Order: sequence, then structure tokens, then C-alpha cells
Amino acid sequence: MSESFEPNIVAFLCNWCSYAGADLAGTSRVKYASNVKVIRVMCTGRVNPLFVMNALQQGADGVLISGCHPGDCHYMEGNMYARRRFGLLKELMEFIGVDPRRIHMSWVSASEGGKWKEVVEKVVEDVSEVGPFEQFKRDKINW
Amino acid sequence: MVEKVLRKDNWLNFIQALTDARDLWLPVKDGSMQKFAPYSEENKGALEEYTNSDVPPKVAVFPQTETMFRFQLGGQQVELPEGEKGKVFLGVRPCDARAMSIVDSVFQWDEDDTYYSDRREKTILIGLACHEPFLNCFCTSLEGSPGSTQGLDVLMVDLGESYYLKAVSDRGNSLLQEIGNVLDDASDEGKQADEIIKNAEEKIVRKIETGDITEKLKQLWEDPLWKQVSQSCLGCGACTYLCPTCHCFDIQDEVEGYEGRRCRMWDTCMNSEYTLHASGHNPRPSRRDRTRNRINHKYYYYVEKFDKIACVGCGRCITSCPVNIDIIDILSRVKEAL
Amino acid sequence: MVEQTTIRQKAKEIVAREDVRHLIGWRKGTFGYRVSPYWVETPEDAEELIFSPLCSPNLTNYLTLEEKLPLPKGEEPDRRKTALLVKGCDSRAAVQLLAEKGIEREQVVLVGLPCQGVIDQLKLEEKYPEGSSGVNAEWNGETIRFTFPDGEKEFAREEILADDCLSCRYPNPVLADEMLGEEVEAWSDGKNAGVEELEKASVADRWAFWEKEFSRCLRCYACRNVCTMCYCEDCILERLNPNWMFRSVNHSENTAFHIARAFHLVGRCVSCGECERVCPAGIPLGKLNQKLVKEVREQYGFEAGVDPESIPFQASYNPQDQEDFIL
Repeated sequence: MSESFEPNIVAFLCNWCSYAGADLAGTSRVKYASNVKVIRVMCTGRVNPLFVMNALQQGADGVLISGCHPGDCHYMEGNMYARRRFGLLKELMEFIGVDPRRIHMSWVSASEGGKWKEVVEKVVEDVSEVGPFEQFKRDKINW
Repeated sequence: MVEKVLRKDNWLNFIQALTDARDLWLPVKDGSMQKFAPYSEENKGALEEYTNSDVPPKVAVFPQTETMFRFQLGGQQVELPEGEKGKVFLGVRPCDARAMSIVDSVFQWDEDDTYYSDRREKTILIGLACHEPFLNCFCTSLEGSPGSTQGLDVLMVDLGESYYLKAVSDRGNSLLQEIGNVLDDASDEGKQADEIIKNAEEKIVRKIETGDITEKLKQLWEDPLWKQVSQSCLGCGACTYLCPTCHCFDIQDEVEGYEGRRCRMWDTCMNSEYTLHASGHNPRPSRRDRTRNRINHKYYYYVEKFDKIACVGCGRCITSCPVNIDIIDILSRVKEAL
Repeated sequence: MVEQTTIRQKAKEIVAREDVRHLIGWRKGTFGYRVSPYWVETPEDAEELIFSPLCSPNLTNYLTLEEKLPLPKGEEPDRRKTALLVKGCDSRAAVQLLAEKGIEREQVVLVGLPCQGVIDQLKLEEKYPEGSSGVNAEWNGETIRFTFPDGEKEFAREEILADDCLSCRYPNPVLADEMLGEEVEAWSDGKNAGVEELEKASVADRWAFWEKEFSRCLRCYACRNVCTMCYCEDCILERLNPNWMFRSVNHSENTAFHIARAFHLVGRCVSCGECERVCPAGIPLGKLNQKLVKEVREQYGFEAGVDPESIPFQASYNPQDQEDFIL
């Protein structure tokens, strides 16, 4: 991969913790890589693991799901279900042959602006190492 | 129509001559599946253990997914596909070629399906006669034969040390003359070929009687036999996708961002959404209805419309059905039901 | 080992009961190695039932496959029970359906048959190509004995059984109203699930393998239809609104199809091996599902289809679930 590869990363952030944490990083004028495109969901428990699959199909190079720490979920247990699901999704994807460095999950709370920056930097670094996603990306509309 | 002989030690030159001007597709083995694929350095074909391809050569004229046109959202323009380069399909069994000529009736009926017709015109079919029946063949019961030439452009028969080639259509004739430098003229190989085909016909074990099948089916609409034969049906599409005469398709629009395409793809009448109306009503809600529809379509409705039975006896549906629903069994029950 | 006569006798008794509508079992197919699911409606029909290493079809599937059609006015639906012949894996499928409330316990009568494994037709065809005449098979200790038209042949179990059977942990039905025959000893602890080779391969090699396999997929949906655990009326794999995967057949949509289906079976797959058996393209779906079955068992300690009162795996969580993958 060339020096100029900028990965396209889609992040599903839970409204109450991670989105607020990312917002805090913004208001604190923290500088970090700008490759992440954020989709706000109310809770990570809402994130269907097939969103990850679909994001990769549509052109994302990496996907990040971030939510509240266990025990702190605004809806009590949504992140617990998410933890189970994504643990197994990563196993499945790795078994199929999708590099595990493409899919990440993290706990970022509303006050962890600094941690958000680190999470993003790690994800961008990992995905940059792996390169653009071509495995089952949808082809441009062609014959 | 010319008759030629190809010596087997000249095989590579023959292939070279065919690929020079056209795309050559021949049978290859992919895992446990035999199918037609373009000839290439990696894909030199697998004719030695070739029986019949699992996926029929209808992909030549009716590919599984075909783009009809492309468009940009918000624009008024629609981009049609360019015509394709001509293809040659080598190793088509006579039943599959017959199937294509049977399906022609639908695609060239009141409106000419230009996507189909364009491919049909540009595809040359070189058939390979069968030396013996394969697992569930019953082509002779349906006016077919291991050496039938209907629908083919050229028929090849393996004589052991060489192949006998007979041109069947004008297109086939021109092709054989064009590549004449790798072929020799035939003398009496035609007779050997006829012997081989006759022997193959006699070896066919599975048979059905189709004399008055249409009349019988008309009277059996409410017969309990349909429930019995369809109870184990899974409603999957294996029989329909592997059938050389099945031609149902679905049309979907696929949009990605601001671009899109309309494409058509194979569909199956065994699926629960087959005749599902937008209102939610389905005139064929159960597998019994859909199985009955499939058999009737092939042996009754098609006969009434086009005077042909839409089945060529290749036996793929029987071999691929995971629960052993056997069309020969169904037809013998139809015969006994009256 | 169960005697055919025992099965037929039991079937006759069950079908004669007033509260049983029919019994679903297996009978000899119309050619080769095939076996056909068979509905026994009267005691006389029961004479055709067989039970042999060829009896792969999972009959529990028909519990949810049967359509509930609208009835003429005044007619009551037939609420009689369905009786089923079940092997170990089939009974687990029934138990999982019960756990998910897909069926009710009163709907079924399960006749349990301890099973020593069914054959993989592709493996058998490599040793002896399928012919038109029917073939008999029987378990014979460490081998399976076949009666071909030209004589008997025996093949070792490890060479001929389906991959899912080789790693079977539950050869005896876990739930049955009637259990026939003697129980068999489990021969595997499930560790050898047929996925080791892929697990050892590098990520790039794994993708090369699966890409090639998925390229043959015809999207015929046979794997989904035969799976007992796939019984949604509005299946995500063919929904148009929202359109999760396009209907067109190409590498992207085929991979998405298989990922989606495998993921929907996490914690629900009972390793019956049917998906791999029915695939007309010979895609090794068993490996895909077995890998997840193995991970769920080893990392989360859960097995599908064992306890009819269990809470479904993806509908529950454990506060101590592992989180070593979380940043």
C-alpha cells in the first residue's frame, strides 16, 4: 500500500457515552486522524453485526463499534449483548479471511476524550497497515 | 454440410483455432462441480472425466445475472450494454442444446428478448455426443437422443483416436470451413459415429411414457398425488437453477450511491414468493401448489402454447434434489393415477 | 443399534393413535444412495421405513416448513401431533426449536434412534460412483457395510462419515418420547470439528479458500431451506425492504449471504450437517458453522439444542463474558 492510502473507517458510536466522548475530544480541540465517519446509534446493542458486513461491502476499509463501559450502559445491558455479538463476529470474519485488524470494538465513556483519540489512532494505524478492503467489496456498477 | 475428422493429437491446434477469433468456453471442474468456464491458461478444460456439467450451458444465452442497463440517479440517460463478442461453447451435450431451442420459443415469442437473442445469435454451440447415459438420463423418452443435433451448430462424436465433426447449421458449416486447416475430411467416420450413438441410446435405463401426459395432467388438478410428492420438498431452487429449460427470472434495481443498474437474475418457481402478489395474496401458497405448477408448466402449459414438452430428460433435477423428489417417479404416478 | 422391525412396529403403534396425524421417517430413494423423507399415514405404510447410514435428511425441518394455509370457513385446523424419527442431531434441532418457542412440546412425538453417523455422499462417490440401482448400507462397528449391485464392500468410518458426524458429541437423542434401540457411546468430544486446517492457515489463505468456494454458490437457498433453525417467514437473506444483499449473484453478495446466514446461526446451529449435504455446488458450509459452534462452546460454554428450557444464546449475556478483543 502506498504512503497516501487513507483508510475509510465507519464508526458506530453509542449516543450516551462514545458519541459524547468523541464530542468532548472535539471541543477540547484534540488533534487526531480524520478518517473516521461517525454514525450515531442510541446504544451499541442496537448495532446489527451485519452492519459491519454491509459497511465493508459498500466501501469501508475498517469498522469501529464503540459504546459505554460494561455496567454503565444507559439502557442497562445493551452493551453486554453487543459484546457477545461482536466477539463472535470477529471470530467469524477472521475465519472467513477478513483481517481482524479491520474490525474493532471499544469502550469509550463520555468523559474519555483522550481515550477516543487513542482508539481512533489505533484503528487508523491498524487499517492502514492492512490496506484497502477489496475482498468482497461491491464492484462499481459495471457490466 | 461438411463432415470432418479431428485427430486427437491435433487437439491443441483445434483449441487454438477456436480461441483465435472468439471466446471459448468449455467444461471445467471446480471442486466437485462441473461447469462451463472460459478457456484460459489456468483453465484448459476437463473433458476426460466430463459427464455433463452441473450448471447447464444455458448460461451462454441466459446468464445467471445480467445487467440490462445502467443509470445515474437524477439523470435522464440510460446506458445500454454493448453487444458481446461471439462465444463458442464446446462440449455441449445434445439434450442441453435441444433445451435451448425449446426455450427460444419463449424468449422470441410475441416480443423478441433482445438480450437473449443477441447472445443466441453470437453463440456457436459445438455439441459432444454421449457414449452412455449418465446417472439419471432419460432423453430418449422425450424425443431426444445422445446424438441429437437439434439446436447445435456442430456435433462432435468421440471415436477413440479422433473426433468426428458434423456441421448442422450454416454457422457451424462456416466455422468448420474456417478452421479447416486443423481438420481432415471425413470418409466413413459418420457410420462409426452413428453406431456409437445407437449403442448409447440402447443403454438408457430410466424411461417414462409421455404419450398423453398433457391430457392426463389436465384431469389431475385436485389429485392427492401432488400432496404426496411435494410433502418433502424444501422449496429450494436447486432443481430449477440446474434445469436447462427453466427460464424464470427476477428483475431488480441495484443502486449504490448515485449510480445504479437494473439487472435480471435467475428466479425459481419453488420459492414461497413466486406468485406472491403485492396485496399479500398468493395463489400458490404451498409447496404442493408450486410443485404441481412446475410439472404442469413443463408437460402441459408449454405443450399447449408451443407444442413442445419443456423437459429434455437430462436428469439434473433428479440428481440435485436433496430429498429425492424424482420427476420420473412423479410422472409414473401421474400415469397410474387415472 | 436399532432393528428395522422395531422401528416399523413402533411406527405402526404411533400412527394408530388417535392424537397423531402422521409419522415422518425415511424410506429408500428412487436410485443410488438416496433416501427420501416419507410420511407414514397408515400402519401399512410403516413397512417401508428404513434406518441406515444413508438416512441423512433431518426430518425436524418439516415441523416449521409446513405451511399454515387459510382454511375454509368453519373448518378447524388439524391439531393432531406430528411424530418424527430423530437421530441425535435431529433431536437437538427439535430441542432448540422448543427453547426458541418455535414449536410446542405437545405438537410433536419424538421417536429417538441412537445413530452411529451418516455418510457423506461426496466421499462415498469417490470410492464407488453412484449408480441407478438402489444400495443398502448398515453400520458394522468400525466400518460401514454397503451392498452394491456387484457385491458387498466395507469402508472405514473415518473415511466415509460426514464431517459433522465425525465430530458428533450427541449420537443419542437428547429428548425423545420413545427411545428405540441401545444407546451408543459418543466417539468424539467435538474438538476435531474439521476446522483445524483452516484455523492454522493464514488469513490470506483462508480468504483464498472461501473466495473460491463462494464463487460457485448459485444462491439457490437450499442450505437455508433445509436448515431447521432457519424458519423466519420473512428471511433477511431475501428481503427487499431493507435490501441487505442484492439478489444478483457475484462474489460480494454471495459472501454477504454466507456471513449473514452463519451469523444468524450462532448459538443455534446443532451440527446436523444438512446444509453441506444439500448444497448443489459442494460448498463446505459445515466448516463455517462448526467453527462458530466450537467458539461458542469453548469461549462461552454454551451448546445449542441440549436444554429445552435454556435461554437462547444471542438473547442473553454473562457479565463475565470475555473482552480481550475490546480496545
